Amino acid sequence: MSRLLPLPATALALILAAPTAALALDPGNGNGKGAGGDRQERGNRGGDDERGNRGNGGGNGRGPERGPERGPERGPERGNARGDDRRAERPESRVVEIVRGRGDDARGRGGDDRPTDRRELRRVVEREVFQTRDGRSVVYFQRDRDRGLIAGCPPGLAKKDNGCLPPGQARQIARAAAADRYDWLWRSRDDGFRYRYDDGYLYRMNQQGSLLGYLPVLGGALAPGVTWPSQYAYQPAPDYYSSYFGLPQGRDYRYADGALYGVDPQTQMIRQVAALLTGQNLSVGQPLPSGYDVYNVPYDYRNQYADSAQANYRYNDGYVYQTDPRTQLITAVIQLLT
Amino acid sequence: MGLTMRWALAPLCVMALAACGDGAGKADGTGAAAPSDRTLTATLGGDRAFGTLERVLENAQLGEVLAGKGPYTVFAPSDAAFAASAGDLGDEAMKAQAAAMLRAHIVPGALTRADIEAAIAREGSGGEVRMRTMANSLLTFSKEGETMIVSGDNGARARLTGAETLASNGVLQPVDALLARAAAD
Repeated sequence: MSRLLPLPATALALILAAPTAALALDPGNGNGKGAGGDRQERGNRGGDDERGNRGNGGGNGRGPERGPERGPERGPERGNARGDDRRAERPESRVVEIVRGRGDDARGRGGDDRPTDRRELRRVVEREVFQTRDGRSVVYFQRDRDRGLIAGCPPGLAKKDNGCLPPGQARQIARAAAADRYDWLWRSRDDGFRYRYDDGYLYRMNQQGSLLGYLPVLGGALAPGVTWPSQYAYQPAPDYYSSYFGLPQGRDYRYADGALYGVDPQTQMIRQVAALLTGQNLSVGQPLPSGYDVYNVPYDYRNQYADSAQANYRYNDGYVYQTDPRTQLITAVIQLLT
Repeated sequence: MGLTMRWALAPLCVMALAACGDGAGKADGTGAAAPSDRTLTATLGGDRAFGTLERVLENAQLGEVLAGKGPYTVFAPSDAAFAASAGDLGDEAMKAQAAAMLRAHIVPGALTRADIEAAIAREGSGGEVRMRTMANSLLTFSKEGETMIVSGDNGARARLTGAETLASNGVLQPVDALLARAAAD
């Protein structure tokens, strides 16, 4: 699946991306890279929680002719992948729109004189950046069950030119479902929907079997050697993660559904699964959620952050969280820089 | 004087070498063992007891993750545990399922048994403690006599067996059953 942007769309994408790209150059980059030892952050989380708005809109399946036309909607966001150190006091939410017109076929189907297929794709890239007291930022990823659910005709079905039949009706999917004795693995998404896995994607259906959307999963459509699924939203990783996890330069690092992926910015090919993350949103002032009962600080930091009557410490996703043993409230978020 | 100091240090050197020899990374129950210089992936590859887990890890293409910075604690099911219910997760067609299964066995940070025991002890008699997995599920730890029990979703239940291994980037905790299973019908 080629991910090249057609020229007109590319130009438009660049124009649209320009303001945000400029913003990405704001001061605040490079928070603490290379500093010896660890650095303590005191996150001051804004009260405005906009996490409810994360869906990917648009792009509903209209039939098989739209099948190959997925892909150009990532362009503008690439420019923002390193803009994660911007300072903000509220969660930021960015909407990028791309309008595609004639000549959008980048897959060499020359001579195709189909009528203009014009549609709009809308994506929302959302993450939260909070400013710390000393001016550096802490970026919270959000692991949400709905995040990244893509509406519309999934690549596998579109390719099959079957009118984008929902999995409950499509023979291929039904056969796969019958054969897949591991469907229960996906039921930890205890949200009242039904899920089936096929060919790299998890399909969400309502109880009547109608397709509601699909989700690429780790090891399937999100795996090394696979092109990043078009239309699939992600959260750019902060520079701190590149530093903490010691990640190679020259790749885009994207967080999606519990994992951090290294993506070739040119080809959009996933080069590595760089880290597994819980994606839990832990911030100062909140109680430590369930699931952090055992001391788990990395060896190298145990002398420095040992539990005591005054403070407990727990590790998660590259940070150490200091909590008050009496109230269980998180009192500080600590970056671990080596 | 210099010679005296060298001889005085000799026993310490011997102790240090012993700690980093064949038993490197093996905890002694006090949680004080030094971690090995091998990553979780290398540790799994070098231990015949986890051949199936290694295949599943490779199939899920997560070997690089467990060779990375981490740290992670991996609850490592024995070959027999996989054979009982999920022996086909090493198959090419099961990559995503393999990754999902593995994520339910991995928690963030370095959890030694001493850490888990201490947390249970803090809860008092019959205490239970919980840790969140990379699959966004919870593992519950408790003790039955001297045996440490870990339970997953849908009633999955295992014992922590054998010796833990402190790898350079986390901890390998052997378990005798899978920590995720289908719900009982």
